[in-house]
Amino acid sequence: MTLGPKSGAGAGPLSYLDEASLPLPFCPGCGHAKVTHAIDGALQILGRPKERVVVVTDIGCVGLTDRHFDTNAFHGLHGRSITYASGIKLADPDLTVLVVMGDGGAGIGGAHLLAAARRNIGICVVVANNFNYGMTGGQHSCTTPFGGVTATCHLGNLEAPLDLMGTLRPSKPGFLARTSVFADDVPALIARGLATQGFSLVDIWDLCVAYYAGQNTLTRNTIGDLMAELEMPAGVHFEGTRPEFARAWRDLYHPVETVDDEGMCLPPPDVGLAPVAQSALAARTGILIAGAAGQKIRSLATILGAGAIMSGLHATQKDDYPITVLTGHSAAEVLISPEPIVYTGIEVPDVVLILSEEGRTRVARKLAKLPPESRVYVEASLGPVETPARVIPLDLKGAAKEVHRLAVGAVGVGAILAAEGIYALEAFEAAARSLQKQKVADTNIAGLRAGAALAG
Amino acid sequence: MIEFLEGNDAVVRGALDAGCRFFAGYPITPATSILTGMMRAMPEVGGVAVQCEDEIASIGMCIGAAMTGQKALTATSGPGMSLYSENIGLAIMGETPLVIVNVQRQGPATGSATKGADGDILFMRWGTSGGLPLIVLSPESVAECYTLTREAFDLAERFRVPVILASQKEVGLTRERVDLDEARDAYPPPRPRDVAPADRPYVPHAFDQPDDVAPLSPIGGPHLVRYTTSMHDERAWLTGDPAVIARMMEHLRRKIDDHADEIARFDFDPDEGAETLVVSYGVSARSAREAVARVRAAGGRVSLLVLKTLFPVPEAAIRAALIGIERVVVPEMNLGQYAREVQLLADGREVRSVTRMDTELVSPDDVIREGGLL
Repeated sequence: MTLGPKSGAGAGPLSYLDEASLPLPFCPGCGHAKVTHAIDGALQILGRPKERVVVVTDIGCVGLTDRHFDTNAFHGLHGRSITYASGIKLADPDLTVLVVMGDGGAGIGGAHLLAAARRNIGICVVVANNFNYGMTGGQHSCTTPFGGVTATCHLGNLEAPLDLMGTLRPSKPGFLARTSVFADDVPALIARGLATQGFSLVDIWDLCVAYYAGQNTLTRNTIGDLMAELEMPAGVHFEGTRPEFARAWRDLYHPVETVDDEGMCLPPPDVGLAPVAQSALAARTGILIAGAAGQKIRSLATILGAGAIMSGLHATQKDDYPITVLTGHSAAEVLISPEPIVYTGIEVPDVVLILSEEGRTRVARKLAKLPPESRVYVEASLGPVETPARVIPLDLKGAAKEVHRLAVGAVGVGAILAAEGIYALEAFEAAARSLQKQKVADTNIAGLRAGAALAG
Repeated sequence: MIEFLEGNDAVVRGALDAGCRFFAGYPITPATSILTGMMRAMPEVGGVAVQCEDEIASIGMCIGAAMTGQKALTATSGPGMSLYSENIGLAIMGETPLVIVNVQRQGPATGSATKGADGDILFMRWGTSGGLPLIVLSPESVAECYTLTREAFDLAERFRVPVILASQKEVGLTRERVDLDEARDAYPPPRPRDVAPADRPYVPHAFDQPDDVAPLSPIGGPHLVRYTTSMHDERAWLTGDPAVIARMMEHLRRKIDDHADEIARFDFDPDEGAETLVVSYGVSARSAREAVARVRAAGGRVSLLVLKTLFPVPEAAIRAALIGIERVVVPEMNLGQYAREVQLLADGREVRSVTRMDTELVSPDDVIREGGLL
């Protein structure tokens, strides 16, 4: 089977319709039959193998058309045909993917229409635009002209009609054109859309003979007048040359970056967290670190836990932070244990590290409930801490000044590891070297040592 | 290799090892790190990952990609599950293999975006119109985020159905020491897609027995493929014939429900002579395990059933665990949802719900005290 487009008209199948399924089910005089035959004509111009063509539709009268095509056919939820078509195109960029939808689908799926045009994904959207919802009995749609009469605006529509060309043009997609079912250029315009590398849309003005046309005296002869009145002329409205999304994504994304914004390596190194030391820690120890957003508390907690693992221990980490960043509190719970950890909660923290006022406020209730044997290490400038636990004020900021503004957390962790003897400093250093880029690891290790000296 | 990973990281690894090569998603706490993880991971294996305009597009793209032959994944939290709802029905109707991760957060609505709960348990089973079955699995640890993601892809292929991984913040965003290489080595190779033979006519929803599952043929492959959201027959042609519709409904129901035992994943830890059974799942199962250990250490007797498959309900496993039991305790991080499923099977036994929906874990102490275990 050849996958590329065949050259010239008539080189492919003589018809892309399933002759056995005819006649088409549309009302006598409905333009959807003309749209269906125009699509068949366009596919004949293109000449691709039927197996490499997908017709995607959704709910609405024109959505009945896919079952009459002798191609792949996908009939999905109302207004979502562009999403299925985009998934199909992204997965198999060489397919010819055609979406046939009504003005109803264009309205409810408006976000998909905008996104597909902005992405410039290589699907061709044919909108059979007949200004109302025919399948449900003629209610107004996003393209019903101002003043138009429908079942849901029987005294006249007060909403301005959506101009598909004007709406999508600023996205500079591959191809945008408007015509009507009575024009001779419909198959040729759809074929140009189908041949476009990027996103294309052909807005085909159409008559709903059951509802809209009769109630609004819209006919073959007046459809051009409506275009003029609404200042929405027929013709090619845009041709663009931006790269097609499915192919462009593959071209761009194969180089993979390896460091995230907290300095953590991605993907993790192959060596893993093999033990570099053995800790003699006897009991499960819950550590609560509370500070301010921006103090790198989450990545510090990860290194603290990873260091425990590199000491032959088990560890869990849970973070607590608001959905905003760089403001408010940031806290982390690190549970370290010689045994596998079943319950991941810390019922009573053994050690608390307070780095900022935001952190102290966040854990105030927990501090008040601590038993006397718990230890609270606190940045000395924060003043007294209300807790029954033993409070150990330390000049963490002062020590961090010698290293780096962001090292205050590492200083605190260094103080805790040295004073509590949970595991050797070397394991923390090895964890930082394994998981963080060199500059960040250097800062954390220098902070750790300064903190250990402070506690010692 | 020993690592310190979050549950969401393990989902990404599980998806990669399962052969997933398509991801579409929309950012939402606490599921975002699956989206960003897949954005990094997919290019390395020649796959595609895309951030969509909304959750409806995310699952829509996954369904489209799945029908071209890709194994597809999407991930969200409760608010996004609401937007997935209609397309979950489409995936059931079109018999599309698809894996959905719901990293639940406390709700309803926006709820506590950065806090955990298991408030969507029944919503995952019943959250699309029509009431037909799908599969829901619930991991309790980072390691299980890996293994159950692998299981989810295999089950999705085996039954041509969406499979939901019921994770939550307390699993997805908790780091643990884990060795996923061990987990990978212990797991069989990913189940390949059953593909319809190219030299024979393709019937997209063919079955002889109601519980048969037809092989798929990819869109763009050797057959012309039809797919529809509307009521259809085996050939995917629209039908209004009540007899055909009844047959298709029976098929969609029985291909799952008749295989509940095959889909059931659980740990049963019986205690001889115990009159109390604790039934739990997800992160609350860890509190249940700890509580049971404490009760036994204090000389008490209690059995434990931890469910990994929530739907279809592992009825045989629950009934077997109930033998000799007088009282059942069901801890969970919601207001008592799965306890109702247990109640339906408990033949009048007392079923005590131990619940918490205040963003804190159900603690072992809660299970012991409120469950009356000691």
